[in-house]
Amino acid sequence: MRLFLSDYFVLYLSLAYFFALVPFLPTLSNPANLANVLSNMWPLLVVAIGQTFVLTIAGIDLSQGSVVGFTSVVAAMLLATTASPDVLSNAPIWGIILTEEGGPLGHTSFGIPLAILIMILVGAAIGAFNGFAIAQFQMPPFMVTLVTMIVISAFAIFLTQSENIRNLPEQYILLGKGDIVSIYLGAQDESRIPRREIYSLITYPMVIAISVAIVAHLLLNRTVFGKQVFAVGTNRKAAEISGVPVRRIIVLVFTISAVCATIGAILYSTRLEAGRPTLGEGNFLLDVIGATVIGGTSLFGGKGKIIWTVFGVFFFVLLSNTLNLMNLSSFHIDMVKGSVIVAAALLDVWRTRLMREMNA
Amino acid sequence: MSRQTQTLLGFDRLRKEYFGVPAVTDLVLDVPVGQVVGVIGENGAGKSTLMNMIGGVVPPTSGQMFWKGQAYAPRSPGDATMLGIAFIHQELNLFTNLTIAENIFVDGFPTRFGLIDRAEMRGKTQALLEQLSLDASPDTMVDHLAPGERQLVEIAKALHRDAELIIFDEPTTSLTPRETARLFETIERLKADHKTILYISHILSDVERLSDRIVVLRDGELVAEGPTDEFDIPRMITAMIGRELSGLFPKRSAKPRGETLLSVQGLSQPGVLDNVSFDIRAGEIFGLFGLMGSGRSEMARILFGLDPYAAGTVTLNGATLAGSVRDRIRAGMAFVTEDRRAEGLMMDASIMDNLSLVSIERFGRTPVALLDEKAIAAKTEALKSDIQIKAGSIAVQPVRSLSGGNQQKVVIGKWLINEPALFILDEPTRGVDVGAKYEIYALADRLAAAGNGILFISSELEEIAGVCDRVMVMNRGEVMGTFDAPPFVDTEILALAFGEQAKTREVSA
Amino acid sequence: MRHTKSMIAAGAIAVAGAAATLPGTASAASICFAFQDLETEFWVAGHTAITRTLEEAGHTVIERNANEDANRQLEQVRDCIAQGVDGVIIIPQDGESAVTIVNEAQDNDVPIAVFNRPPSDLSNGIIVVADNASIASQAVDFLAQEAIANRQGDEKLTPLIIVGDLGDPNAIGRKDGFYEAINRYPDDFNTPIEVASEWDAATALANLEAAVTANPDIDLLFTSSDFLFPTIRSVFEPRGMWKQRGEDGHVIMGGLDGDATACQLLKEGYIDATGVQDLYFEAEAALNAILSAIEAGEAQPNEVIEDPGFALTSANLAEREMDMWGCVLLSEGFLDN
Repeated sequence: MRLFLSDYFVLYLSLAYFFALVPFLPTLSNPANLANVLSNMWPLLVVAIGQTFVLTIAGIDLSQGSVVGFTSVVAAMLLATTASPDVLSNAPIWGIILTEEGGPLGHTSFGIPLAILIMILVGAAIGAFNGFAIAQFQMPPFMVTLVTMIVISAFAIFLTQSENIRNLPEQYILLGKGDIVSIYLGAQDESRIPRREIYSLITYPMVIAISVAIVAHLLLNRTVFGKQVFAVGTNRKAAEISGVPVRRIIVLVFTISAVCATIGAILYSTRLEAGRPTLGEGNFLLDVIGATVIGGTSLFGGKGKIIWTVFGVFFFVLLSNTLNLMNLSSFHIDMVKGSVIVAAALLDVWRTRLMREMNA
Repeated sequence: MSRQTQTLLGFDRLRKEYFGVPAVTDLVLDVPVGQVVGVIGENGAGKSTLMNMIGGVVPPTSGQMFWKGQAYAPRSPGDATMLGIAFIHQELNLFTNLTIAENIFVDGFPTRFGLIDRAEMRGKTQALLEQLSLDASPDTMVDHLAPGERQLVEIAKALHRDAELIIFDEPTTSLTPRETARLFETIERLKADHKTILYISHILSDVERLSDRIVVLRDGELVAEGPTDEFDIPRMITAMIGRELSGLFPKRSAKPRGETLLSVQGLSQPGVLDNVSFDIRAGEIFGLFGLMGSGRSEMARILFGLDPYAAGTVTLNGATLAGSVRDRIRAGMAFVTEDRRAEGLMMDASIMDNLSLVSIERFGRTPVALLDEKAIAAKTEALKSDIQIKAGSIAVQPVRSLSGGNQQKVVIGKWLINEPALFILDEPTRGVDVGAKYEIYALADRLAAAGNGILFISSELEEIAGVCDRVMVMNRGEVMGTFDAPPFVDTEILALAFGEQAKTREVSA
Repeated sequence: MRHTKSMIAAGAIAVAGAAATLPGTASAASICFAFQDLETEFWVAGHTAITRTLEEAGHTVIERNANEDANRQLEQVRDCIAQGVDGVIIIPQDGESAVTIVNEAQDNDVPIAVFNRPPSDLSNGIIVVADNASIASQAVDFLAQEAIANRQGDEKLTPLIIVGDLGDPNAIGRKDGFYEAINRYPDDFNTPIEVASEWDAATALANLEAAVTANPDIDLLFTSSDFLFPTIRSVFEPRGMWKQRGEDGHVIMGGLDGDATACQLLKEGYIDATGVQDLYFEAEAALNAILSAIEAGEAQPNEVIEDPGFALTSANLAEREMDMWGCVLLSEGFLDN
């Protein structure tokens, strides 16, 4: 019972799942596979952390995927080192921002930090718009972010005419793919180390995602802002009467969500080495919201922890990975994922009731 | 055994603990068939926990329940309903967007050829409504019914399900005197039909009038039980609070000082308030009485910056107030709202989080700086013992688990860390039992004695008269008059509240 | 690019799955086939062509469907590599992600072939590309000859082309091929009428209607994609221009893609030719290239294999029918469902 209600429940569940499957799927514990699981986890984690804030105030942010796609294009059009007119000359940004010599920041020394700053500002602006519309006009988050999703993703596709922008600077791509510490587990006396046996251990995405997680954890649990986020999620009226700046909190929370999506955009677009207007489409939101809810954050607000989301994302990525290893088709994989999310939602209801019974 | 003494529901050493703290302690009790049993006790005495165990909402920690002599261990509220146990709560569980008939049949519509048989539904509902003398069509939307009528619909629902035990939990809270009288007639009739009734109420005179037997709980234990003739109200109170209550209201410990703290001039908002002016002095408990719709709560919201107003000024400590709730809080206002569940508390959050909510910004230098958690714990712990909140660990225990009185203390307590100057208390004792009421009055007196001003809004004449230094009466958004000094006469206050003799009997303006 | 700042060479720990990577096992290799989607019939046919050929040769096929998500495809290919496959064949989501995935596989010493949708950089990997211009020109050349042969009188003929979205290199290639063929007969044809479709049936409908109203005497029509034939029919039929070969008023028509509808129309005689990517040639070429790379122990095979395609026409329908994927689908009852 204690275990069931513990913060680490989902982690224990993941580990149990892992060890239960290892005998049947030996590849699962293969270092290369573990490195894959981790590398798939980081970008999703960053985006899911943003969603955690939003769910905690009983909101939902459907626009995260479109922010990922759009900001990846923003960075790429600023940073590209060259661009092909065959592909991109029909894009409205051609000749204005992007030329055959690449983007305006493609060849400058301060280009990457500046481009990242700009993309984060753009992301923040989208999030602030969401928050403002929700707080000021009392519109439902579902509606506002749905509209933002549609508009932003259409705008991203319009900007490049659905083309992807390649040729990003190496240093930028490093953020999504670079290893800091790699590990080789093969024999020591090999003259030529087979490259597929060198595994990433510590990578830039890992460092970025863990930093974001730590900052988010402190922000949500240890600051005035975090306490007020919970207050808005638990009882908005009571929070307002108690002097919580409810509107400001809502705007900030949606801004955080979009900024997290933007950082996610850096990781996703650099691992694919291109700014892609269609990044974050399709089932991406299912993954983000699913992983967050599996972690234990409630869709009804007032209940959320970053550590839960870390474990939720881990479980979710592990689940996808094992389903892949079982050679299931993508339709089956999505069906299983969907069922797991429903199960997690049920579990949440169940846990909440149990908690209340123990306290009530 | 004669029919009267047959046991419908029995308890044998029934016990429920939360966090190891017993809420109901080894209860042994029999509820006889066909009787009305009044259950009284302060909030936190274990009444709700007992009812939750009967209703299958929470399982007992140990002990047993018996239904007609058989062991009874419901696993869900559905089990209780199936056996024939019905609850009539203070918050009614009706769908206001459905008709009476639909509400009664909501858990199983009669069908004919696979379609809902509306004719049968209407007919059966009509019969039930006649039985309860509710003069309304089965097709009436519940939305259009008065609170008393809605309650009769709840009872009709219980009868439709052949309930044998009907549990009334504070049924008269939102009823008018006439509706209350009708409810009592209904209960008499149910009793005549051999229904067994558990009647829970804080209004001891009602319990005395209705019950055949009385059960008194205190701190989870059964402290007194017996036929109603053996109880009078003072004995009930003594049993409930475990001591003699010297009076219902504490003596005021200090006189109001002279200087004006809050000054309201010409406050108006079309349709809500019409030219309201009054002053509250430092150290004064200023009563505001009005019936529903008199504008009392609306004025409180306007004073606190929650709602807009068209004209007038509000001055606190000489400074004119404008702007948002946050500005008012900064200027020294505190607002304990009428509805503590919806507007006062984060029910699932811890007591500590609730107590520190208003003053949270004091504990972090900037919104994103790390909080001084030790200081928060120290301050809230001190507050807990200062205003005597009865709870275990305030860092863990959610407010939901507290009794009504203790919840109300948390709502008041959360303002205290900021040391405000003016408290607006809107119905601070609603749903709170006798003992806790006294404590809240005492707290109000203490705050006033410390030089604060208190706007005490209530619809209970007794407490207005018992607690306040002055009483202002409102009707339809207008001030009808102000009584400057006790003794306050009920009939005079009521007369003003009904607007019958407006302004002519004004004591001062 | 992998940037290895420091490398920890830990002791020899046996790694499960790595054993299968030995070269020379191509007789029964495990191949990861990662495709982006099966939503169009073309991809269904391509998918079947590859998996069947592989399985018939006794190889293990691990299939991965990315559901049009490039990131998912990258993760799937990585998972395949972790599973220790001998080679990877992908039908990529787009040319850009293809480059990344090719690099990913080659960095891990796994041979990779890209099927049908070329990466934007052709220098790495085994890349099978169809030459759209050549295919279009073969089809249009046949149409032109037919039109000239059936000409009554000696007026110049009026050709019409429905062009695709010119942001798409395929559309440009097809248009170029069309002009190349028509320009071979400068004395026989007027300047072609161009109808824009943007790869959208509704746009094509509106523009074609306008064009046909303005020029009712069209002798030859080429559509840059077969999927527009139903649209063309709805414009032509009410005007009496949708006629079988040999009937009076038949417009010489052709397209490109070779889908099941085109095959049926060709058999019924409503159209005269369609340019086809030789899907079966492409599948075989990709497979052979990757299997021989595995056999040779070559981890980063780089090769561009061009598919010249062919035109299935009323003249060669009998012999080459089953080389066209659309006809294979048709014979399997694809249009019946």
